[in-house]
Amino acid sequence: MDFVGIATGKVLSSFSVFLFLTILLLAVARRISTSVLLFSLQSAVITAEVLAMAFQEKLPEAYVVGVLVFVIKVVAIPRAFFALTKKLKTVRDVKASTTPTQSVFIVAAVIYLSYAAVHSYSGSVHVPDDALAAAVSLILTGAFLMVSRKKALMQMLGLLVLENGIFLAALITTFGMPLVIEIGIFFDILIGLLLMGIFTFRISDTFEHLDVSKLRRLRG
Amino acid sequence: MILLSALAIPLLGAGLVLCFRNQRAATFAALVLGGFEIAALSAVVWQVHIHGALQEGRYLRADGLSSFFLMGIAFISGLVLVYASGYLRHMGEGRFSSPRWFYALVFLFLFTMISVCLSANLGLMWIMMEGTTLASALLVGFYNTEGAVEAGWKYLIVCTVGIAFALFGTIVLYLAAVKAGMSSAAALDWVSLMNAAPHVGFDPHLLKLAFVFVIVGYGTKIGFVPMHSWLPDAHAEAPTPVSALLSAVLLNCAMYALMRYDAIISRAAGPGFSRSLLLIFGVISMVVAGLLILVQRNLKRLMAYSSIEHMGIIAIGLGLGGPLGLFGALLHTFNHSVAKSLLFFSAGNVRHNLGTLRMDGISGMSRTMPQTSAALLAGSLAIVGLPPFSLFISEFAILSEAFTQARYLVAIVFLAVLSVVFGGFAHHLFHMLCGEPDRRAENSHLIPSEYMAMGIAALCLLFFGARIPHFFGVLLREATAVLR
Repeated sequence: MDFVGIATGKVLSSFSVFLFLTILLLAVARRISTSVLLFSLQSAVITAEVLAMAFQEKLPEAYVVGVLVFVIKVVAIPRAFFALTKKLKTVRDVKASTTPTQSVFIVAAVIYLSYAAVHSYSGSVHVPDDALAAAVSLILTGAFLMVSRKKALMQMLGLLVLENGIFLAALITTFGMPLVIEIGIFFDILIGLLLMGIFTFRISDTFEHLDVSKLRRLRG
Repeated sequence: MILLSALAIPLLGAGLVLCFRNQRAATFAALVLGGFEIAALSAVVWQVHIHGALQEGRYLRADGLSSFFLMGIAFISGLVLVYASGYLRHMGEGRFSSPRWFYALVFLFLFTMISVCLSANLGLMWIMMEGTTLASALLVGFYNTEGAVEAGWKYLIVCTVGIAFALFGTIVLYLAAVKAGMSSAAALDWVSLMNAAPHVGFDPHLLKLAFVFVIVGYGTKIGFVPMHSWLPDAHAEAPTPVSALLSAVLLNCAMYALMRYDAIISRAAGPGFSRSLLLIFGVISMVVAGLLILVQRNLKRLMAYSSIEHMGIIAIGLGLGGPLGLFGALLHTFNHSVAKSLLFFSAGNVRHNLGTLRMDGISGMSRTMPQTSAALLAGSLAIVGLPPFSLFISEFAILSEAFTQARYLVAIVFLAVLSVVFGGFAHHLFHMLCGEPDRRAENSHLIPSEYMAMGIAALCLLFFGARIPHFFGVLLREATAVLR
């Protein structure tokens, strides 16, 4: 058996575990830079998954998507984040409203819940439980990060994790959407992040901090 | 080519306006481009009326429903551009808050909203819907004050997350279609989906799952309670012409996207599920927004909550279905847009003349600013649904549908909320209009462009209340035919 074939099999059978690992680590990460690295790692796992799928199902389009994911999510976005943190000179702490222990328990509960939620669907779409549960728990963990971390940059990161989950769900259930749509979605994400970057600058300019929980003038 | 040109004009226009550094030149260019845009959209509407649905390439299409919404976009964007031409004289020069940036972003915003209505592919529709958030976020934060930056950030985050759920819903629908044996190109195309819906066996569980995610996702953009948290902030902090665009065009566009999914899913899995979800969201939005209207202190926030209430009314009309329900819902999208533009235009004048939007700090407006007060009063009477204004007709149609279907609970809640809202508006307005004026208005008279925008809106409300013009009625029939 050739090497690529073996690697493909290994990736497809084990990527869920690696993804669970990254979200559990994200729950305990105390620094923004650690979280960004973990996101980068998570995207690398997803890249491997895309390439493995492309090889196994012989979908030439999917290689393009794989390269896009690698360039944008593994390289470009983390770099942009590091540049932003450097420029904004923000404190490096993520300012979590839950302790790391609580966060781990919450993410573990999220993983458990995801398994329970996908159980009734996975049969009908012919996808292994683990893969679908990984996608759903990425979505939920992303949402959890967004509500529990007070730094504007962490909210952006939570959004990216959430988006990774949606991307993964599309990939494993339908082998991805048509290429044009996929590229459009990537483009939207990039512009969205750019705008959020602009807004973080404006927040730090007008408020002299990046703590989103203190943005509470508009109420009622 | 005609669909493409309707998209190319605002996109190129956005770039072109940036070349004019002078405020007057930029305003003039924007008005000319706006004129071209309205002409192109009218041509699309006319062509659809003559030839039926138009298709250009694989990704652009217009049918009766899209052309109805395009007409609304053309009309409101015209009013907004005219009003903005006078409004901009109040605007300071910032690095990115100059008139040319304002117009460029407005045209980009229009481009994304028009493409939502013209896309033939649900994926493209999602991309453009996210595009509306991106194009308007900078407009919401345009003034760069603390409030504006906060509102812009909230808008960007809440809507992006919401819309992400809509993407998930779209993927689930795509999955259901691919599993039912459709090709991957056709599985996102709404015409193929509509045609396939009755006889291709979609998995009903997947369809229901898809609709739940889509209604939460696009419902965030529509402003359904409880996903509405961005809406009052964004509407209140944005420059007034943008508030009018958000409330009168953007919310309708999101509603349009939801209608497409509703039409597909109720064809494939029976109308029961999607319609009851629409009814539930509609009633909750109406009730919560109606009650919150009572406690508002800021004029523009009051308008924003009223928008949520009216989106609830439209959702109830769609949820009831039936000939009168759909007719009322579609007519209401248009009527609400016109009335809300009139109200936001008056609110903009109030802010500039009195320097505040706090309603308890304003009194005796009818003496210091008679014309603006008249517009505010007319708009408010229209928005609470009193005859002879046109909102009365659409609300009455929805209400009679509720009674025809013997949905008495919905009808009673509907009537109760309308009376609460009436009370709320009467209370707030009475305080503002009557009494002793406590501060002088700087320039109490309207300038011609404001006259024009507000006058056309008010006349339109009155005229449509008396009778619906023939051509408009035909368009409305063509649009409801798509949904049925």
